[in-house]
Amino acid sequence: MIQFSKVSKWYGEYQALVDVTAEVKQGEVVVVCGPSGSGKSTLIRTVNRLETIQAGEITVDGTSVHQATLNLNRFRSRVGFVFQQFNLFPHLSALDNVCLAPMKAAGKNRKDAKRQALALLDRVGLASKANSYPQQLSGGQQQRVAIARALAMEPPVMLFDEPTSALDPEMVGEVLNVMKSLARDGMTMMCVTHEMGFAREVSDSVWFMDRGAILEVADPQTFFRSPEHPRAQAFLSDLRH
Amino acid sequence: MLDILTQNAHFLLLGQYPSGPIGGLALTLILALLGLAFAIPLSLLLALCRVSPYRVLSVPSTVLVYIVRGVPLVMLVFWSYFLVPGLIGHLVSAFTTLVVTLVIYQAAYLSEIVRAGIESLPTGQTESARSLGMSYGSTMRHVILPQALYNMLPSILSQCVSTVKDTSIGYVISVQELTFSAQQINASLLTRPFQVFLVLALVYFAVCYTLTRCVQGVERRISRRRASGKMSNVRSLINDSVLQS
Repeated sequence: MIQFSKVSKWYGEYQALVDVTAEVKQGEVVVVCGPSGSGKSTLIRTVNRLETIQAGEITVDGTSVHQATLNLNRFRSRVGFVFQQFNLFPHLSALDNVCLAPMKAAGKNRKDAKRQALALLDRVGLASKANSYPQQLSGGQQQRVAIARALAMEPPVMLFDEPTSALDPEMVGEVLNVMKSLARDGMTMMCVTHEMGFAREVSDSVWFMDRGAILEVADPQTFFRSPEHPRAQAFLSDLRH
Repeated sequence: MLDILTQNAHFLLLGQYPSGPIGGLALTLILALLGLAFAIPLSLLLALCRVSPYRVLSVPSTVLVYIVRGVPLVMLVFWSYFLVPGLIGHLVSAFTTLVVTLVIYQAAYLSEIVRAGIESLPTGQTESARSLGMSYGSTMRHVILPQALYNMLPSILSQCVSTVKDTSIGYVISVQELTFSAQQINASLLTRPFQVFLVLALVYFAVCYTLTRCVQGVERRISRRRASGKMSNVRSLINDSVLQS
């Protein structure tokens, strides 16, 4: 579904992504982990071209993402993206946050968009907050609205960039539960996260990154029990302490 | 001093109207309103050009704004008054010249406020809208501008108030607005310039003070609504127009 082949990216002299080659298969949940500054967020942001790449190729569902002729808006509507900072539109209610893109980018009428948005808010457990504004919602609720908003374009792939890192600890669970239910429904997901419990329980594959390169790809049982790469071993033992 | 005001009240307020052309404070307000009516949409356009990723739009608009901001208003008025007729080959009335100059001048300053409003929003707003598949234009119109304009409303309104004072520059090209009327009164009284111009200052002050108080009212409403986190009428208006347009 998502294929990286020899992807490299530089910020000036600094190489942020080093020859990344990997694949997220249809229906698979991949967790990308690694120390901060290892290029996880940069990698996930290249998938919907929030970041450009200088070498290699990324394809999503057979479409080459960084080709000049790509219809970027249409492509992006097929890839859901959830941000660490939620990035809800503060001037719109939860309902309108979810409705906006279906109406303005997909041309749905208000009635259909609203019906769909209410169903999605219900799915993330926030139907009762449809008319609330972002600043009236807790962090966990905002992030769930953000997930509903990304789902509104009915993307076959969802990308999560540290979706729980900006949350108070007691709100992490509600967001992870929504992500788990998406995974159960067979959504293809790529998640940058520090939630190793989620990785262990839900993911099909764990990618360990450091200094811009993927050092290890393994199923979660293997990865957490006996990681091969020394840096992965060090990373996991730091996490346990 | 009060006698100057009472004896010339009609002239200060309306100029020679109805027996002659309208002037005085009425003309001042007409000039300010007319100027703003064109300057506000133009400033929006200028701000959009300035933040545009296309250099064909951003470079000329930046140059225009810097020139206008770096030149005194009276120079701009002289330029348009003496240069434009030469360029287009026929005379333009002083009134039209002044309105056009005010529009360009105010649009430049307003566009800087709008641009600051756009650029002060977190980049995450644009990123999230674009990552949903919304186009640049649609993101601007439905996500960025409603927030930027709302945040900048107090600054925009106080810039609008200063337009009233800027109309006084019309005096130098004999537009018969308030300052020109005062000067005429001064010329006929001859001996009391201090009193005449004090009256003039008080009239400007009264108008601008009233408008400034109104702006402060708007400002207070905005900060109250932000504090309570409740949806404001302004907001609901914006919302409805966003989603029904």
